[in-house]
Parts: sequence; C-alpha cells; structure tokens
Amino acid sequence: MEYFYTVIILIGLYVVLASSFNLIIGYGGLISIAHPVFYAIGAYTSALLSRDFGVPIVASMFIGAAVAVIASIALALPSLRVSGDYLLIASIGFQLGLLELIKNVSWTGGAGGLTNIPSFLVQSVGRETYVALVVVVAVLSVWLVRSIAHGPYGRALSAMRDDELAYSALGRNAIATKVSVFALGSGLAGFAGALYAHYFRYIAPEQFEILQSAAILTMVVVGGMRSTWGPVVGAVMLEALPQAITFLNLPPSVLGPLQGLLFTGLVLIFMFLRPQGLVPAGDLWRATGDKDAR
Amino acid sequence: MLSFGVIAQILWTSLATSSYFVLSAMAFAVVLKVNRLFNFAQAAVMTVAFYAAYTLVGLLGLPGRAGFVGALVASLVLSAAIEILGLRVLRRRGASTMFVFIFTLMISELVAYLAMLIYGTWPATVFPSLFWPATLVGPVAVSGWDVPAVATMLAVCAALYAFLRLMRPGQFMLAVADNPDLAELYGIAKDRVYLITMLIAGALGAVAMFLYGTRAQVQPTTSIDLLLFAIAASVIGGIGNIWGAALTAFVLALLQNASVLFIPSEWQGFLLYIVLFLAIVLFPQGVHFRKISQLFHRLFPRRLDNTHPKDA
Amino acid sequence: MTGVLETRGLAKRFGGIVVADDIDLTLSAKRIVGLIGPNGAGKTSLFNLLSGVEKPDAGSITLDGKPLVGMRMHDRARLGLSRTWQNLRLFPSLTLLDNLLVAPRHYASENLLTLFLTPGAINRAEKVNREKAMAILERIGLADLARSPAADLTFGQQKLAGMARALMNDARCLLLDEPMAGVEGQSYTTMQKIVRDVAESGVAVCVVEHNVAFIRDLCDEGIFMFAGKMLARGTVEELIADPRLTELYFGT
Repeated sequence: MEYFYTVIILIGLYVVLASSFNLIIGYGGLISIAHPVFYAIGAYTSALLSRDFGVPIVASMFIGAAVAVIASIALALPSLRVSGDYLLIASIGFQLGLLELIKNVSWTGGAGGLTNIPSFLVQSVGRETYVALVVVVAVLSVWLVRSIAHGPYGRALSAMRDDELAYSALGRNAIATKVSVFALGSGLAGFAGALYAHYFRYIAPEQFEILQSAAILTMVVVGGMRSTWGPVVGAVMLEALPQAITFLNLPPSVLGPLQGLLFTGLVLIFMFLRPQGLVPAGDLWRATGDKDAR
Repeated sequence: MLSFGVIAQILWTSLATSSYFVLSAMAFAVVLKVNRLFNFAQAAVMTVAFYAAYTLVGLLGLPGRAGFVGALVASLVLSAAIEILGLRVLRRRGASTMFVFIFTLMISELVAYLAMLIYGTWPATVFPSLFWPATLVGPVAVSGWDVPAVATMLAVCAALYAFLRLMRPGQFMLAVADNPDLAELYGIAKDRVYLITMLIAGALGAVAMFLYGTRAQVQPTTSIDLLLFAIAASVIGGIGNIWGAALTAFVLALLQNASVLFIPSEWQGFLLYIVLFLAIVLFPQGVHFRKISQLFHRLFPRRLDNTHPKDA
Repeated sequence: MTGVLETRGLAKRFGGIVVADDIDLTLSAKRIVGLIGPNGAGKTSLFNLLSGVEKPDAGSITLDGKPLVGMRMHDRARLGLSRTWQNLRLFPSLTLLDNLLVAPRHYASENLLTLFLTPGAINRAEKVNREKAMAILERIGLADLARSPAADLTFGQQKLAGMARALMNDARCLLLDEPMAGVEGQSYTTMQKIVRDVAESGVAVCVVEHNVAFIRDLCDEGIFMFAGKMLARGTVEELIADPRLTELYFGT
C-alpha cells in the first residue's frame, strides 16, 4: 500500500511541476530549463529551515516557495531585459551553477544529500492524509493555471506570444508579464519541492539535474503544450512508465539511462509525428466558460 | 607565490588547454552566426566523435590516427543526419524557436543516455594512458600534448579563416549569415549552406573532443559541460562573431586556470557559471571588442613620433 | 498654442542611411496632420521614433509636456500615445473583440497580484472594457464580427479593426500608419468619418498616407518628407501644386 501511496504522491507532484512548467513555457512562451532548480530551492529551503532552525514545517514550506519566487525573479529579470534567448542560457547556467554550489557546500549535505528532514503529517495523522494533501495541491495547481490561462490575464499572454511589439505599443509591459509568469510557475515548483522533501525526507542534488528538466519537458510537450489536461496526462503517463520498467529488475546503471532514453525518445517521436501532443490546444484563445476552452 | 615561472606556466598551460575550448566555441559560434541557431545538438556530435575515437583506439587498439579519422567521420555523419532529417524538416514546418531548441536539447540527451548504456558512466580516454612526456623549457613544463594541441588549434583557425574568406562555400556562408533572404535571391542555396555549416561545426567539435579526450577523462555528459563553455564564449564574445568567441574562449580558459591560485579546485567549475551570469547581466550584447580597443587607444594615445606621453 | 505632441531636432541614422534629420513637429488637439512622401522618406521611421520602437540619436519628444525619449514603449502608450501599424499586427490567436480588450490604456488584469487580491475590480474592469469595445465596433460596423478570429477578417475589415484597437486607448495623440492602404468602398468612408470624429473629440492626429485624396479631404496641414527631412509644410493643396515635390515623389 505504501508503494501505491508513493506513486500517487509522485504523480501528484509531477502534475504540479508539469502544469507550472506549462504556464511558463506554454502560456508564457518562455524558454527555460531551470524548473527543477526551483523544485530544489523549495525542497532545500524548507528542509533546512525546519530541520536546523526549528521553523514549523508549514511555515517552512511557504518560505521555501517564497525563496523560489525570489530566486526566479533574480534570474528572469536581468535575463529578459536582454531577450528571451538569454533567459534560456541564463537558466542553464543557473541550473548547473546552483547544483554545483549545493554539491560543494557542507551545510546542504553536499553531493551526498540532506537527510533527516522532519516528517510532516505522516507520523501524526497517517500517510493517507499526506497523499490527500498532495492531491489537493495538484488539483489546485491545475485549476490555478487553467483559470489564469483562460481569464483576462491569459488573453494578455496570448497576445504577447503573438506579437510582443504590438503588445507593448498598446501599453502592456511585456517584461513584467513574463517575469510574473515565471515567478508564479517557479513558486509552484518550489512548493512542490517542499512537499517532496517532507515526505521522502531525503533530498540530493542528483535528483534535480538535467534528467529532471528533460522529464518535465517531456510531460509538457508529449502531453500537449498550452492545454489544461495535457501536462496532467503527460505527468501520469511519464510517472507510470518508469514504474513499469522498474518491474523488469534491471540494475540501476541500466535503469537510469534507459529511463532517460525513454523520455528523450518519446519527445522526439512526438515532435515529429504529433507535435501538438496528446491533448492538443486550440489555436484560438478562449475564455473560461467558453465551451471550447480546453 | 606569483613568480614569473608560475605565471609563465599558467599562461602556457592555458594556451594549450584552451585549444579544445576555442575549437568547440568556434563550432557553436559558426552555427549561431550562419544558421541563427543555438545548436545544443553539438554536444551529441562531440560525444559521438569521442566514443568513435575511444572505440577505435582504446578498445580496438588501432593507432591514434585511425581514432582521429573515426571521430571526424562519425561527427560528419551525425551532423548531416541532424540537419537533413531533423532541422531541415522542422524548418520546412515553420517550427518555433522553442521547438527547435527542445529538439536539439533532446538529441544531446538521447546520445548521452545511449553512451551511458553502451559504454557505462565511468571515465574513458582515447589513449589508454594520459601520460605525455614533459620537457622543461626554462621554468615551464611543456607536455608532449601541448605543442600538437596548440598547432592543431592554430592550423584549424587559419584553415577556417581562409575557407570563410577565400573559398566560395565559405563566402556563401558569410552571405547567408548576413542576410539569408538576400543571399537566396542571389541564387545561393540556403539549405546547402546550412548543411555545410553544420558539417564544419561537427568537424570542429570532433577535433576539440579528440584533443580533450587525449588529455583528460571523458564521460557521457562531458560534452554538455564543454558546450556550456562554448555557449558562454559565443554569447560574451558577441553573437555573430566567430573570432570573438574564440578569443573569449581563450580568456575564459585562462581565467579558469589562473583561478586555481585563488580558489580551491572544486570551485573552479562554479566560477564559470558566475562569469557567465555576470557577463549576461553586464554585457548583454556581448563584449564589443572594437569599442574596447578604441577605449584603450583613447586612454593610452601614441604620439605621432610613436612615443608614449610618459616616455618623453 | 502648445501642441499635444512636440518634437524638436529629432535625428536618427542607421549606418549610412539618414531616416530622420532635424525633425520639428507639433501635433495639436483637434488637428489632423498628414505626412506624405515617397517610400523610404522616413515617415514610418518617425512613427517608430515617436512610439518608442527606435531610439533617436538626438532631439526631444514631449507628450503634454512630458519628455518621451528614454521612456519605454508601454509607458508612452499609457500616457496616451496610440498608433496603428502599416502591417496591421493584429493578434491572430484572439477574436476581434479580444484584440480590442487587451488594448485599453490601463489593463487591470495585467498584474498577477491584482488578479488574486481584487477579483471584483477585475470583473468590473472587464465589463467596462467590453462595453467600450462593443461601442467602438458598432461605430465602425464590425459589431457582428466581434467573436470571429481576427485572422478570418478580410483585409479591409482588419484595417478597421486595427483602428478600433488603437481607439481603445482614449489617446491624447493618435498616429495612423497608412490606414487607407488597400481599403475601398464603405470601409473607406467609415474610416474617414472615424478619423474626423476622433480629431473633433480633442485628439491630436497624424496620418501617414499615399492616398492623396484622403489626405486632401481630411488633413488640416500637410508635411512633405523626403530622405528623412521635412521639406515642405502647408495646406495639402499647396503641397500638391508644388512641382518640385511631385518630381521628388515620383522620382526622375
């Protein structure tokens, strides 16, 4: 049963990650691969605050998300002032650089990872409660992204993606919009990171590397960019698949690369055969309440 | 601590080790300039080149030359495949920049995972041993690897320069880089030029990786680290400026080598990311080399009789 | 009378090409100024300098006395500078109505924080904008196409749509870049009337046009531009009658 709970929690967390990444890359049109880094920031911040400084876990989780938001603004604001391409380069540097930092510094546990993260809810009220919590957060995240994307803010995002120059000439601040979207998406990822940390109670830099970026990217691209359910489908599918492979009882040195091969191979196949993804988005922006909104 | 000998050694080692940085930076820069593409797939080509050389030399015991040729052939084949089967198809479909980026990134990851599956993740080198005999030239230890590496770098730079300026395909590349639509109107086949550029970048990457793999250990993800270096150099050196990228790569290599005097070696890698981030924030359009030299000449003017003011 | 929009000594060059050479321009409320001249004269470049797409090398621009040089594009629009584009630049992923709904001077939902904290205000703002947009669409006769994708409109309708979008700004100064190019028949008459009405309501209007009849019927003042310079000013009749200008316009 515990294994089942673990899978549900992982799927729930990936739904949050994929939806929030869809907000950034699909709706915001921003190219970044640094999403796992904000997942990591949320996880590490919450873990360290609660374990080493006695901060109550709920507060730690929210602070973790807040730190992720601040870090994302620090990354996006200078980069986007230059151009969207620079955000990509900066995000790569930020991802690799921060992980390098975590590996080399002792108080994060270094490359070996951070252990003994305080448990939340599981010992007091039981695992089921934590599972329910993650599911609720996942549902709220999907709902949040959907209502933003199909509300007046989403209308602005759609216009910005179409023609940023015309958008700016109407009086809209494109950079502020992009940074806000980036910050919100990263904040959600940070909160998911905190949720991860307090259930699995062990985090290590290798869990947040480029493989994670590829996985989340796969979920969004294969699931369907700019659709509400695409990332959900992508997250469920891509969490279920690796679980299926683990039953083959392969050695870990083969399992890891094989999973990676699966992710990247899937994305490439979908990109050429079905670029719109499993749940395609419509071409036209529609408001919530519109029967065709997907 | 900062004796002449130490400085000279650092300068020499930097020059030698910058060879693979410079070559891989030029590879990235040329595709960025002509094809207007951030070619993350370069890492895949470099990985394939290395493992081809490793298989031929390290595993099958063939001489180094065979490994070098193997690396070149493998990189050219993969580069052609990526361009013809991948990038060209995406171009025809009018794929967005994001889509193309995801494609090139995924290719590099795919190749990295394949390499992990086939060769494992433990480090490998082209030759079974990394030992190169060293001779002392004054205070500087010159390894047997250094001179061929520097010679290769200079030869390749010269060849590329000559190719771009003097040979027709090279001139076409510059024309397409400048204005692809206009070049097309003049009868230049853009697709052919894009292919040639990818092949050249592949070759440059192969040479870079061969040099690297004969001096240091390589893992399936090494080329991605090298690629980051190449990206940093291309961005800081000014997008569209191949020689700016080469020069920046050399300076960055120098910085990284010199930093060992000031910071513990585990942090050397981190330094690069800091430099990259600062460069993006401070020099968003890349460093303007011309402006720097103009500034320099304004600060240190030469009189007509060629003496410095303070010499008088 | 001080103008709504004023430039003094505006200059810009791209490499060897001078697109603006010592441009002095005053746009006053209720007056329509027409810019004419051959292609490449610098008319659209001037609009780009005024709206903030390009930075001038020298000179000043003020809107209601506030200096615009150095101000970002969206801030200028928020001060009341509105423009249309030669190549339309409608948003293809939005309907006609939605194209207008992102265009008011201040867009309440632009800020994520207000979206969360004051949803009531957002809803009210949306309602107000919707009414305003539909009123404009009624005026230009496109009300029944409100829910059509902007990309599905005919060229003439898209041109009118671009104008409608620019009108959402409640601008102090309106810059129209070739509003009549490719427009005929009813759309033409509608466009003329709208420009006149907008000017009457107190807006300073500047129009770039090749359609001389339009300029003559509508503009209070004409300016002939060539190679980045403003060569002649006067009533449109005076400009048309000048043989030198005709020669420059059509080339030798």
